[in-house]
Amino acid sequence: MASPFKVFSFVIYPFIVGSLITGCVSYRVIKAVEGRSVSNIFEEFQVGTTTLREALEVLGAPDQVAELEGKDVLIYRRLLLVNSGLSFGIPLTDIWGPSFDFSAYGELVRYDLLFLSFTPDGMLSGIASEKGSRYPYLKTIFSDKKGN
Amino acid sequence: MNRFKEILFVLLLVFFLQSCAGWAKNKDYHPFDASGLDKLIPGKSTAAQVIEILGAPSEIVKLSNGNAYIYRRSLSKGTGLWLLIVSFGNYDKHYDQIVIFVNKKNVMTHYGVTLDAYKAAYGLPF
Repeated sequence: MASPFKVFSFVIYPFIVGSLITGCVSYRVIKAVEGRSVSNIFEEFQVGTTTLREALEVLGAPDQVAELEGKDVLIYRRLLLVNSGLSFGIPLTDIWGPSFDFSAYGELVRYDLLFLSFTPDGMLSGIASEKGSRYPYLKTIFSDKKGN
Repeated sequence: MNRFKEILFVLLLVFFLQSCAGWAKNKDYHPFDASGLDKLIPGKSTAAQVIEILGAPSEIVKLSNGNAYIYRRSLSKGTGLWLLIVSFGNYDKHYDQIVIFVNKKNVMTHYGVTLDAYKAAYGLPF
């Protein structure tokens, strides 16, 4: 039978070690997805041929509807958010005062968008789409290009 | 070797003793019944019939040749997992949406339906 002192050490050490480590180094990843995936319909839909009825049958209800310069616009959208953070520090603020701490956080929101415009009689007059989710997280968040 | 196992055991114990998990569910509820669409016929049904069957819309948008009546509700599910020094969070939100297009004569011309709210799921971010 194991000594009660040995069992005790297996319980108490993890608490002590865990309490000391917690706060020194931490890493977090948060992901949020809102909406369904947006189809790539460039081969299926043709300007001047595809009707509003066909578009609604294939894509379902749009996320946004608006009138724009006499045309009806349907927008399909999916949001993908990724948030990550890395933190190093010595959590001795209570007994020591300010101490070493280094943190880095980043959040990237990408959108998959599909824009369809229809004439008042329901004929497709314009298509535009953007698949933001194809951009890799790290490369995109560290990019310093203008407009990014 | 035994010493290594002991250290590994302690580390694993630390990992689990200091961890916790959580789940959350949010509903933006609007009690419309999508099966009522079977009673609506494009080109025949009126805006009044749409409202009678589906209820008051969440939103009405003016369009070039009439209006769009939008019915929307959502379901979101969140999962959180904290493991000593790493934590993970996941949030998934999906919608049930019906968009009814009504012309200037107040007759329904088209409609679009997406019933995806049930797809919201708990999970981890990878």
